Amino acid sequence: MNTGRFFLVLAGLVLLSLSAGSVWAQAEKIKIPVAAPFTGPLASFGEGIKNGALLKEDEINASGGINGRMVEIVLADELCDPQEAAAVATRFAHDPQVVIVIGHLCSSATLAALPIYKEAGLPAITPASTNPEIGRLSSYYFRNVYRDDFQGDFLAAYAEKVKKFKKVAIFYEVNDYALGLKDAFTKAAEKLGLRIVGAESYMAKTADFKAQLSKFKMLRPDAVFIAGYAPQATLIISQARSLGLKCAFFGADGLDDAVLLKNPDAEGLFVTTPFLADQGGARVNDFVEHYREKFSLEPNWFAANTYDAVGMAAAAIAAVGLDRGKVRAWLAGVSSPEKAYQGITGATYFDENGDCLKAALVKMIRDGRWVSAGEQLR
Amino acid sequence: MHLDDRLFHDKKLYLPLLIVVLILPWLPLGQAGPYVIRIATLTLLYMVLAQGLNVVPGFTGLLDLGYVGFFGIGAYTAALLTIHYHWSLWLILPLAALNGALWGVLRGAPSLRLTDDYFAIVTFGFSELIILVIKNELWLTRGPMGIPGIARPELFGVVLDQPWQTYYLILFLLLLVLWVVVRIRNSRLGRAWFAIREDEIAAECVGINVARYKIIAFALSAAIGALAGAFYARWFRFVHPDMFKFWESILILCLIVLGGMGSISGALLGALLLIPLTEVLRIILPSEFSSARYLLFGLLIVVMMRWRPAGLLPVERE
Amino acid sequence: MPTTLLEQSSLFLQQFVNGMTLGSIYALIAVGYTMVYGVIQLINFAHGEIYMLGAFLSFSLVSGFFGVGLPFVLAVTIAVLVCALAGVLLDLVAYRPLRRSPRLAALITAIGMSIFLQNLALLIWGGQIRSFPRAVIPVFLFAPALQFGEVVVSWLQVVILLTAVILMVVLQLIVHYTRLGRAMRAIAQDQTAAALMGVNVDRVVSYTFALGSGLGGVAGILVGLYYNAVYPTMGYLAGIKAFAAAVLGGIGSIPGAILGGGILGLAEVFGAGYISSSYGDGIAYAIMILVILVKPAGLFGRPSSNKLYRG
Repeated sequence: MNTGRFFLVLAGLVLLSLSAGSVWAQAEKIKIPVAAPFTGPLASFGEGIKNGALLKEDEINASGGINGRMVEIVLADELCDPQEAAAVATRFAHDPQVVIVIGHLCSSATLAALPIYKEAGLPAITPASTNPEIGRLSSYYFRNVYRDDFQGDFLAAYAEKVKKFKKVAIFYEVNDYALGLKDAFTKAAEKLGLRIVGAESYMAKTADFKAQLSKFKMLRPDAVFIAGYAPQATLIISQARSLGLKCAFFGADGLDDAVLLKNPDAEGLFVTTPFLADQGGARVNDFVEHYREKFSLEPNWFAANTYDAVGMAAAAIAAVGLDRGKVRAWLAGVSSPEKAYQGITGATYFDENGDCLKAALVKMIRDGRWVSAGEQLR
Repeated sequence: MHLDDRLFHDKKLYLPLLIVVLILPWLPLGQAGPYVIRIATLTLLYMVLAQGLNVVPGFTGLLDLGYVGFFGIGAYTAALLTIHYHWSLWLILPLAALNGALWGVLRGAPSLRLTDDYFAIVTFGFSELIILVIKNELWLTRGPMGIPGIARPELFGVVLDQPWQTYYLILFLLLLVLWVVVRIRNSRLGRAWFAIREDEIAAECVGINVARYKIIAFALSAAIGALAGAFYARWFRFVHPDMFKFWESILILCLIVLGGMGSISGALLGALLLIPLTEVLRIILPSEFSSARYLLFGLLIVVMMRWRPAGLLPVERE
Repeated sequence: MPTTLLEQSSLFLQQFVNGMTLGSIYALIAVGYTMVYGVIQLINFAHGEIYMLGAFLSFSLVSGFFGVGLPFVLAVTIAVLVCALAGVLLDLVAYRPLRRSPRLAALITAIGMSIFLQNLALLIWGGQIRSFPRAVIPVFLFAPALQFGEVVVSWLQVVILLTAVILMVVLQLIVHYTRLGRAMRAIAQDQTAAALMGVNVDRVVSYTFALGSGLGGVAGILVGLYYNAVYPTMGYLAGIKAFAAAVLGGIGSIPGAILGGGILGLAEVFGAGYISSSYGDGIAYAIMILVILVKPAGLFGRPSSNKLYRG
């Protein structure tokens, strides 16, 4: 029986196609990989990331590329899954043509990819992972988004000072992002004298939030802080209304998504965001206009942050060439307001951990559209 | 003697394979080299897992749908011991395996009397509970924050930080596991397991202590899963509850269904074919299909059960 | 925490309503598991996916995902019929060829089909949560049907509860007073003997799959409306919990499925409300394991037998 040899050949073929597939064609373009979930439950966030990157790619190439070489965005879908993220990261880490990565979205994916980039000496910018530990763990990781703890502090201050809430309940998803937010918010609220009347958790895969919401209803909070992501938030708000819970709802940047606009119950919801499309200079207006033209969509903050992250990557490569170590050093050198990268999300510069200091802004849903909240807190 | 390991006895078959496996890190793979080594490492890891799972459904005929639970227990045991006590990998590996075995016995002992489908359901529920605890008990596991910054594996004080070093480490573990599994399978113990698989009541009648032998199988299987988990934690340097989803149990089951349940060489072949395939599919499929590529795995299970239920390398007996 | 006795009791009542709704949904899915298991002793793991299919089909047909938007009632009817057909096909393609194989083979096939269908849905509809467009759903469903003080019961909740109860009564009548029902019970007792007595086993099994899957489809549609959320993985978790409900009630028993669903729904809601909301799913798993280990025949089961239809 020759099945054995057949499998041997088969195994060889598998190995061969694997190595063939991983060797990239076309050396002339500069590749900038962008890794995020482009399918799955968080795909609509990933779409912002993808579109922001593609828009920047168009712009760079239209203006002659980086020192004459065209740029190519390489998209990698990691489904917000740590293992998928590690597999994708490995591919980039061992591709000598890659000198910087933009990604990932979920902090758990970023943390899984982080040691791989670090070992390969490959710098990365995350436009969206807000877990406080990322910067501490690797000197190769940078981010142009604020951290969870900053955002939680900010939201508590906004709720207390601007919205004048007295009693708030927290509804948080059991994930790293939401737990970070909840802890920071709780601590800040205590200091400000804002009462947390209840805190309940939920798991991402469930669709039934009524047990917890019924409890909230009896606590009569002024507002419920939803620490989590938009797909669940829209269900939560609808279910709360159907139970007769009439209080306000607010959340952080994970709720900044168009899916909530389709839900009439979400009217009045306010969220923090690093980017406001309707408040900015000429460059922001250009960005929004081009974005609408190209994708027939409204840009969200994921798109804006990614647009800037790709811009920073391009600036670094333009300045020091295709060298991982030098690109890292260039990014680390962007360390003060004077040296900051001026993008559409404001000035980005990094502290010694590669974290950035950025203002959080507030927007809300009015008449089924996102608009800047009348009062901002600076 | 069981002829399932034709692979191990026919030099023409196993020698070339063994040589490729041994020299893989030194093959001229060019730029793709480190990437191929990483996938190869992953493949060897899944070979270990497939061997471990194989012990229960393959040797005793009970379907385990919660194998990922032991993988997770091993990974978290290793992660916590490394982070808090900075113990050596070589101390952690046996401890993790022991902890796995303990949970394997705890799970197995009450379910001894269950028939096949109820046993499968209990294993599933048990592993989901384990993962739920890992996700929710923040004080112990940091829950969904995961545990980042786990130290690399080391040997005699030398840190194994090169891809080829980790490759040989998992190869060593695989060979160790293979040695144990083959030895046991060909011993009295192995024959008792096969007797139980074929006919539990008949086995009981000829004086086989079914309960005892089943418990040993559970412990061994769980220990191997936890061992793989411990390696995984030190290799990935990050553990997170999402790494231990139900899907992983199914994937490992796929490997042994393809190779042939109970077949040691089959479990190796299953991993050799399917684990690199998931990577190849990721590369060749357009992005919108790549997340649905596991559709093929579901189909594969159905097709195998329909047309080749004994797998590609079935267990054959004289 | 709520302080007054009135608040406490209205919270309790509200949770009871939430739990009963959830329980009715589990019961509707559980019946599909129980019927198939009763007749051919197979845990049809893909049943949760049929339920998901029901939700997706009705969503797609009303919202015009396939190009044309149909009126609500028509869309729902088609969705249920397609689910019934899908169940029959599932049996025909995957399970029937394995009738004479070891049970393990059929069980593994069922898992394979579940993975396959879930990923197929992912391919067709994508992974995002889909919502029914508000305009196409009959408005009254979301209006409160009853309200005592703070406790609100929506028409949809009433519909879900009534659907579960009515379908259950109808099923009991089918199983006990029709030729088909008698044939089902005969096969459950002894397949070979039933065949020898002239029962067309394959046809009866097909009808069983059609009935169970149709009910699964109904459950999917109701859940899709209730939470207004339809997504490819919805069947997996609900399926497991419904299976737990079936086990709790005594797998094979239709009234058992109802009771098991109710108990599980209440346990989950009260567990989330009064113990820990993160362990809501864990409660279902724990109940399932305990029942299997301590009283495998379930509440309505006869000990030492998993041959069914005795309720």
